[in-house]
Amino acid sequence: MKKLRDYSEEIYKCTKCGLCQAVCPIFLETGLETSVSRGKFTILNGIINGHLKLNKKIGKYLEMCLGCRACFDFCPAGINAEEIIYAARAEYAEKYGVNPIKKLAIVTLNLIQGLRRSGSKRSSHSFMRFRVKPGMTGSGKIAYFPGCFDTSAKAVKTVLEKNGYDVYIPKGFSCCGMAARSAGDINTFNKLMQNNISKIPEDTEFILTECASCGSAWQDYPENIAKKAINIYKFLDKTDIYIPENAKYNKTVTWHDPCHLARFQKVSGEPRNILKKIPGIKFVEMEEPGKCCGAAGTFCITNSKVSLAVSKSKAKNIISTKADIVATGCSGCKIGIAQGLAGLGKIKPIVSSIEILAELYSQE
Amino acid sequence: MESFRKIVGKSNVLTEYEDRYCYAYDATAIGDRLYLPDAVILPETTEQISKILKTANENKIPIVVRGAGTNLVGGCLPLKGGMVLHLSKMNKIINVDKNNLQCVVQPGVTVEKVQQEVQKRDLFYPPDPASLRVSTIGGSIAQSSGGPRGFKYGTTKDYVLALEAVLPDGAIIKTGGKTAKNVTGYNLTQLLTGSEGTLAVITEATLRLIPEPEERKVLLACFESIEMAAEAVTGMIYAGITPSTLDLMDKNTMQTIEKFHKTGLPTDMEAVLVLEADGFKESVEKQAEQIIKICKELGAKNIRSSQNQQEADEIWFARRSAFGAVSRLRPNVLTEDAVVPRDKVPDMVKEIRRIADKYSLTVCIMGHIGDGNIHPNFSLDLRDKDEAERFKKAADELFDAALSLGGTLSGEHGIGAEKLPYMKKALDKRSLELMKSIKSAFDPDNILNPGKVV
Repeated sequence: MKKLRDYSEEIYKCTKCGLCQAVCPIFLETGLETSVSRGKFTILNGIINGHLKLNKKIGKYLEMCLGCRACFDFCPAGINAEEIIYAARAEYAEKYGVNPIKKLAIVTLNLIQGLRRSGSKRSSHSFMRFRVKPGMTGSGKIAYFPGCFDTSAKAVKTVLEKNGYDVYIPKGFSCCGMAARSAGDINTFNKLMQNNISKIPEDTEFILTECASCGSAWQDYPENIAKKAINIYKFLDKTDIYIPENAKYNKTVTWHDPCHLARFQKVSGEPRNILKKIPGIKFVEMEEPGKCCGAAGTFCITNSKVSLAVSKSKAKNIISTKADIVATGCSGCKIGIAQGLAGLGKIKPIVSSIEILAELYSQE
Repeated sequence: MESFRKIVGKSNVLTEYEDRYCYAYDATAIGDRLYLPDAVILPETTEQISKILKTANENKIPIVVRGAGTNLVGGCLPLKGGMVLHLSKMNKIINVDKNNLQCVVQPGVTVEKVQQEVQKRDLFYPPDPASLRVSTIGGSIAQSSGGPRGFKYGTTKDYVLALEAVLPDGAIIKTGGKTAKNVTGYNLTQLLTGSEGTLAVITEATLRLIPEPEERKVLLACFESIEMAAEAVTGMIYAGITPSTLDLMDKNTMQTIEKFHKTGLPTDMEAVLVLEADGFKESVEKQAEQIIKICKELGAKNIRSSQNQQEADEIWFARRSAFGAVSRLRPNVLTEDAVVPRDKVPDMVKEIRRIADKYSLTVCIMGHIGDGNIHPNFSLDLRDKDEAERFKKAADELFDAALSLGGTLSGEHGIGAEKLPYMKKALDKRSLELMKSIKSAFDPDNILNPGKVV
């Protein structure tokens, strides 16, 4: 992990053009210069050149970033604010400790995984017979990383099996570490990462993730592991998806692009392709499908007011589509979208595209 | 400070060092100079601004108004401390009146938002500063900003019908009106437009709109010299064609863009023209045909013409990537904005190159060839004191060159703090005195954006 000082040239490169104001979901709600990347770079530059000290006030401003990378895509100078702000948070955490609320969230996530481990029914060693499909060059062994909040594991297994893949869910995974990484808790992130890596059999060819945040956490693991990790939509997009005859899904569906999927893993067309292949479905795009849902991991707990405002703006775009169902591919986004919709007094089912496919298969 | 908190509420007055540190800059490359305001105020209504100004005036506290802070001449810098009024919370569109071709907006709304909203009703607000996604209407009126469409449609000044503004003593005035024609007395609307926050605080604007053109087409024409490109522009004028955009990029700019984005620009050519034609469908086709014919006759090597929106977007992407690409070259970019009569553009480009060579500076030349507003983008590192010093000398010579070619200091960025030292060169003594007396008539205690313009 790079330190704040390793980014000093990057930070200095900010020309202060201010274009980040156009896309920063937090700035659009607060209107404060301190909440947009240009302001944060100024503060961080101030720390590097000695004008400012990394104090608690600045710690608070560092919190005011969803890590959505919308500004990175848009920055003329090509500066990755999210990466730099996470490095700054790590430095802050070293000095002042990890935000206690975030720490609690990180511990809770691990507890969930622990409970699962003890009573899990879905961990299984029985899927050891692997079929090699076209496009696979190695062992063809697929491991699936379900993540903490995952509700799609069953659906993922069904979908993979129906499409001719066997999947193996190793025992003893911990949380992916994204929450710890974003809180600047690098020690915890490393511990979780090492545990997760140790559970992957060496001859595994693909490590599949469905949850966008988990997927991008795996991208931050060492390269030899990261290159095996692939998002399930990207994985399936290369194949002819199995569609059962006479099955229909007669609903209007819209897709929300999780930041950790569209911008971190460059996966946005793939889940749409899958949805569009489903018979009966009416697919509608919402306005700004790539705008952050506002949950951003622990942000929705530590900065609930701003988080809710961002989520509501997302929910407005969803409601305008008149879709019956919101599809997305991230457990965090499901929380953000739910809080936004609830904030506007609306309820809509929020599912992953994989779950929709699984439901289609269940009609057989 | 207490009285300001009473006016706008505690949470809308920022006084912590870290907050103020984030309002000590705008988009001007100022190196390590630091101008901290004493506080930042986020007003929400005209009445609040009126009370703030009254209090500030009584206590002789400087007031610097800030929209999106995209100014390039130090216009938002609180040179003498005081209060920064950040208008980000006054960002509503009050109404769009199609019958009268106008809309009423608050100052903090972005130019893009206005364009999008009026477009929904098939109306068009043409001014298009490069920063339009973030820059605010208030800021663009205060700077009378322009953009590529200036050649056909003019600039911000041509689209302001009426203003509500607050004077330093707190008085709220209304200038202009809802009518398209208005010669009742001196034109205070136009006086405030481009006054760079030194005369009054603009709190509401009535903007003139025109019907949205039915179709647009973008063309890219490559030339072996800047002179040939300039001749093609003259050719178009003689043929009675008015493209909505007539932009130029030089070889260095294209090479720099291609270094970071593969946009397919011809990096072996000396100049490229980016042209846009708009109007009714049939008219656009005819204009494009003629533009292509003229460009070919006058030596264009290669002409790309957009067949659909995606191709148009691709050409515009290349043009809009220019500033970003230059900013990736070295850490700081200084964009100059001198303007010359249209037929002097080749001479000005030669001068810019000569001066850049003389002071060993990297320069990418781009800009609006149609209206003579050329932007040399200097790419440098201000931490290198020698380079910074060389730039300063180059800028001096650049302004001299523009003035001697019959041009002036700024086409659309304004004077602000950065070009103030050159005002004496550009204007005669009496004109400057008149400007100063206008300033003191509005703002006798010099609290509004002190140290700028005059």
